[in-house]
Amino acid sequence: MTLTWTDIGRSHEHCRGKRMETSIARRIGVFVRKYYWAYLFILGPVISTTVFLFIPMVSSFAFSLTEWSGLQPPQFVGLANYKKLLFDDPKFVKSFVNTTIFVILGQGSGPIFGLISALALNQKVRFRAGFRTAYFLPVMTSLVVVATVWKMLYNENGLINGLLRTVDLPTTRWLNNPATALVSVIVTSVWQGFGFETVIFLAALQAIPQELYEAAMIDGANAWNRFWHVTLPSLRPVIVMIYIIGIIGTYQVFDQIYVMTDGGPVNASRTIVFHLWDNFHYMKFGYASAVAYVLFAVLALFSYLQMKFLGRED
Amino acid sequence: MATSRIGVRKLVGRTGIYVALIVSSIVMLVPFYWMVSTSLKVEADVFAYPPEWIPQPATLLHYAEVWTSLPFARFLFNSLFVAAMVTASNVFFSTIAGYAFAKLRFPGRDKLFFVLLLTLMVPFQVNLIPLYKMMDLFRWVDTYWALIVPSATSVFGLYLMRQYILSIPDELLDSARMDGCSEFGIFWRIVAPLALPGVATLAIFSFMGSWTSFLWPMIVTNSMNMRTLPVGIALLQEYHTTNWTQIMAGSTIAALPMIIVFLFMQRQFIEGLTAGAVKQ
Repeated sequence: MTLTWTDIGRSHEHCRGKRMETSIARRIGVFVRKYYWAYLFILGPVISTTVFLFIPMVSSFAFSLTEWSGLQPPQFVGLANYKKLLFDDPKFVKSFVNTTIFVILGQGSGPIFGLISALALNQKVRFRAGFRTAYFLPVMTSLVVVATVWKMLYNENGLINGLLRTVDLPTTRWLNNPATALVSVIVTSVWQGFGFETVIFLAALQAIPQELYEAAMIDGANAWNRFWHVTLPSLRPVIVMIYIIGIIGTYQVFDQIYVMTDGGPVNASRTIVFHLWDNFHYMKFGYASAVAYVLFAVLALFSYLQMKFLGRED
Repeated sequence: MATSRIGVRKLVGRTGIYVALIVSSIVMLVPFYWMVSTSLKVEADVFAYPPEWIPQPATLLHYAEVWTSLPFARFLFNSLFVAAMVTASNVFFSTIAGYAFAKLRFPGRDKLFFVLLLTLMVPFQVNLIPLYKMMDLFRWVDTYWALIVPSATSVFGLYLMRQYILSIPDELLDSARMDGCSEFGIFWRIVAPLALPGVATLAIFSFMGSWTSFLWPMIVTNSMNMRTLPVGIALLQEYHTTNWTQIMAGSTIAALPMIIVFLFMQRQFIEGLTAGAVKQ
């Protein structure tokens, strides 16, 4: 329920009886007295969001229409950056493909591990909090630290190759081999992230009313039927949300690439945000902004799907 | 007969679950164990074959070295200071604005809130370059201002606190208003104390976000003295011909604060994660 300017004036007249028309100054006075606390309270976030979010967002699009490198002032070039990006930049195409592979493999496995571990933890096991902590530990650790540790594990003479050697399996330089670099980073990312999904799924599982299971048992449903007809449908909104968050988050992958492979070898693990950073690094501000906006467009598409899917639930 | 067969099957099933849980937990913990054990090894043993599970000899030397041979104390201070400031300001602004959006009536409230929520869809990278240019314009590059001010409020935090404060009964606020309490008084004496559990959750997430953030601090700082821990650790690998024992000592120190916070505030952690995700 919100009031309009005329409402305020009217209510004012009402309590004072019939008077001459309220002057604008007085209306403003009443308005200010009535609402200044509220506007004062929201001032910080509103200003900060405007300055650090809305303005950059619009500027970023304006930048993307310019050629702007380093010291020279920006030159308007229309959609030339986008044209080059989509049709004349094999590195960008490569980064887009890599990121999409990252999303497909990462999101194809992480949430499933999360669901399986949550289902196991939901079986009234002992030390549940302990197991949950083990899964969750990497989630709250800085990605840079996680990536650094795994870079050491993947080393030519690191733990992983050491273990493979003890059982006579072939070894490789995981992060220096174009065939394995991207997949190795994905493995690290799944290891780092699926504990988040475990925690979310576990909470969602515990929120499913027990009566649903009891009713299914009475109807003679076995464990598989109960999972398929009770658990999975109840989890549907959470599953959709997990996937959307996961897809959007994974499209922005950067930290672990920077630390572990630097986008290499020969762009084998270059991702969209790495490409953005690379261009920024060489002060191609206009071009990097265009990369950012293409990423934005991809993520906006997924956000739209999220609203569509989640909107249907209510 | 039948019951015992079900019993056996159940026993096998439970054993299977425990084996799976234990094996997967080992997979989760080994990299952490390896991080700590490497930090205690002598450099020559880092890549020994067969893998050296227990450091032989073990030394705490590298923990001393990171403080002296690298500006590590400075990284740690920067990370702590920035995370503390970001957390404090997020808690303040999100709680007070969350209160206004949850409980006060003012023209444009719902539209404004919706517009703010829309920004959650904008990936940070979109704003990166203009934000950097803005910092440059303000002459804030390579200062604490650039590390703190753009993250001083967050729409996610605002959303979290609004949802939390919505559950405070209106009668409580109205009776305080009758007693002549000012709006700020109501916020400070009634809403803030009742919102404390929500504040704890928000504080944890703000701290974690700032503590682990990498891309922005890397871009907006350029002197060694202004680097935060993640940036410092990432750059150490480029500058030094990778000295793994030292880097692992540094990584252990960087990982520790969040682990301690988690162990002590597990409930708030889990609640915060699931509040946004699982509908009540």
